[in-house]
Amino acid sequence: MKLTTKELTACALLTAMALGLSYLENFFPLALAVPIPGVKLGLANIVTVFALYALGTGEAFLILFARCLLGSMFAGNMNALIFSLLGGVTAMAVMAALSRLRGLSVYGVSAGGAAAHNCGQIAAAMLTLGSTAPLYYLPLLLGVSLLTGGLTGLICACLFRGLASANLTKG
Amino acid sequence: MSVRRSPKLRPAPWDLAVIFAVLAFALACGALVWGGGTEGLTAVVSVDGVEIDRFALNGSAGERVYSANGYALTAAVSPDGVQITASDCPTQDCVRMGTIFRSGQSIVCLPARFILRLEGERETNSTGVDAVIG
Repeated sequence: MKLTTKELTACALLTAMALGLSYLENFFPLALAVPIPGVKLGLANIVTVFALYALGTGEAFLILFARCLLGSMFAGNMNALIFSLLGGVTAMAVMAALSRLRGLSVYGVSAGGAAAHNCGQIAAAMLTLGSTAPLYYLPLLLGVSLLTGGLTGLICACLFRGLASANLTKG
Repeated sequence: MSVRRSPKLRPAPWDLAVIFAVLAFALACGALVWGGGTEGLTAVVSVDGVEIDRFALNGSAGERVYSANGYALTAAVSPDGVQITASDCPTQDCVRMGTIFRSGQSIVCLPARFILRLEGERETNSTGVDAVIG
């Protein structure tokens, strides 16, 4: 994949924003309200959805990979890499497929991605722990993902509207 | 910034199909892993996928302390269920899970790679063979 300087800069900026949102998420511990391992708002998914539409699937994958790798390095926890990568790549693949369907809005794409992210993370937990016990949490996580995915979709919709009204979506 | 594709920004009717698909998948998973019984429960504790303890809830009231990957977890056991009352793991999800009391339920501590799972009578006594004849 060949990137222009402008595209590369956009990818770098979006990666930095995704990392910032991942950090910001620690201030909204959803697990206090829903005590399930791995439950979170998924704010970094805003960047993934935005990059998917604004830049393309390849660039969105690059941003996702850089965010997962750097996030795990900064947290000093490389064990988390398998969780974020499996969750992120599953979500990305599902969203890339759903975004091709003309009938779906950014809300449906985002909710599908959030659900897929949880499936990927449960798969990572099963691989890491060597047990099917984490499957017990999947139905609850899927239910929560519809809400968090809807929220991410709403923020993305606002973002695209804001860019369009500020005339920043061209050029 | 140029946008390659503009998404639909208002909720569309087909979004409901995604929501129903996710809910159907969640219900199917729930039917598969939930709904176990509450009688004759056995707790199975494993760390890194290796079983380290197994005890029947009836007659095992009290506290049990486990060490897993550098973390200490305390389990309070009663005939009605089992819960993790203290853990020095950073996430504390295992403590917040509360009491589990049904076959198939589990408490997972990801940092400690610790699983406490309840098994019912059928699972515990199962030999994997339905009947031996002849």
